[in-house]
Amino acid sequence: METTPNQLFEMWRKQVEESAQVWTRLLSPERPAATPPDPTVFWRPVLDQGLQTWAKLFAQTPATPELLAQWKQFLDQWIEAWSKILGQTMGTEQFAKLMGQSFDQFLAALGPLRKAAEQQTEQALQALGLPSRSQVTAVAKQIVELEERLERLEDRIDAVLRRFDGKEPK
Amino acid sequence: MGAETIREWQEELDKNVRRLRNLQTLVTRPVEPRVGQTPREEIYKTNKSRLYRYASSRRYRTPVLFVPNLGISRPYIFDLLPGGSFIEHMTREGFDFYLLDWGVFGPEDNDLTVEHCVTKILPRMAQKVLQSSDARELSVLGYCMGAPMSASFIATHPEVPVKNYIDLAGPVDFSKVGVFGLWLKKEYFNVDRVVDTLGSIPADLVKAGFKLVKPTMDLSTSLNLWWNLWNDNYVEGFQALNRWANEYVAFPGEFFRQWVRDFYQENKLYRGELVMGGRPVRLENITCPVYVVGAKEDYIAPPACVRALIDLVGSRDKEYVELPGGHISLIAGRGAARHCWPKVSGWLARH
Repeated sequence: METTPNQLFEMWRKQVEESAQVWTRLLSPERPAATPPDPTVFWRPVLDQGLQTWAKLFAQTPATPELLAQWKQFLDQWIEAWSKILGQTMGTEQFAKLMGQSFDQFLAALGPLRKAAEQQTEQALQALGLPSRSQVTAVAKQIVELEERLERLEDRIDAVLRRFDGKEPK
Repeated sequence: MGAETIREWQEELDKNVRRLRNLQTLVTRPVEPRVGQTPREEIYKTNKSRLYRYASSRRYRTPVLFVPNLGISRPYIFDLLPGGSFIEHMTREGFDFYLLDWGVFGPEDNDLTVEHCVTKILPRMAQKVLQSSDARELSVLGYCMGAPMSASFIATHPEVPVKNYIDLAGPVDFSKVGVFGLWLKKEYFNVDRVVDTLGSIPADLVKAGFKLVKPTMDLSTSLNLWWNLWNDNYVEGFQALNRWANEYVAFPGEFFRQWVRDFYQENKLYRGELVMGGRPVRLENITCPVYVVGAKEDYIAPPACVRALIDLVGSRDKEYVELPGGHISLIAGRGAARHCWPKVSGWLARH
């Protein structure tokens, strides 16, 4: 049985639709009592497909460990097909736009919270007479800059020494 | 059931016993894999960055400076385990091999830029390589984002005697850079807002981005682990690779801003509009022999964006090869040992 990404995509779409219906019915305050919802229904096509393939393999092949290798191969192909579908979905402008918007919203919410938390922590540390994160970072930055200045000095001394050694034209 | 089938089932049962034994060890007594075992010496350090020299017979006098990516991941992937190490291969072939480990940057390094790396750190590293090896020239090997950075360095520093340049899976034309290029588009990704809000790009955010680009990766890794769990060598390799694959490294804020804006969003390197240290970055200024290697299944730096370098450099001696594998498997793992490493060392040996 050959399963193309399109078939899998269709199956996935169907699962999403069915699961949405199931959850809507579950969460609905006026649930019809006659037909109790089954939240597992949307996984059935996938399980059915797997079981069918597995049953076919059993029917066609003698029961040897080779069957396990075939099962592994089937899972590999299944994952690969899903990977392709997800890759195609995530490679669209719509997905990029949606992701960008979500991330922007996250940053817009995080920004003020982060700032407020930093200010409060800073004040608390100051009250306790302890150095704050920004003060420690500033000291570390100064050390980095100092190291950079030393490097520059070292470079100049090296250049002068090379000239003395005659390795470099004046 | 024939005798052969019974024997096969017995073997399978045996494998399952070993699987369970290794699973128990992994869960109850996990061992820290010993990575980066090739003997090396620290030649130079500046801030968080280190330059390492690896022991070799020095059959070839021209030293090789290896420039990997900054941020994202640690460079021990290139020297993962004995028998599965790119660095071990290069030293065994007799190359005087130097690795630039950019290091793990903290909030104090948020002002570090791509420009500083290209115009300050890389020239110093090249100079230290020449001094340490007492050579007149060096070869530069750039991997991933280390390739456009080292190409920018070579193009803006004609006074540095670069004999050969190799680009391994390094993007150059960022208009063809695939899914990351799409996600980081100016219209969708406000890099200024990200850097201004977060300061640096935390390792967890880098991890989320890479996990999202291949969401089934963890599933297939787990499946393959279970399948090969009976094999002690596989488990040892898995532990080392798994440690690396889950050790993400943050980006300094300003570095990320310049990297995304100038390279991904405005494609300045390819368009010849990049200026670093007051010097325009013109890739046609690279005139040494150039070897460009793309990976067929690379979704981080697809072959088309890597290959673009060939048309831009001013070299007469230039070659592009496309090898099997993805962004990582191009240079690490069994496939790399078969396809990539001999090509790279062979090309360098001929030049």
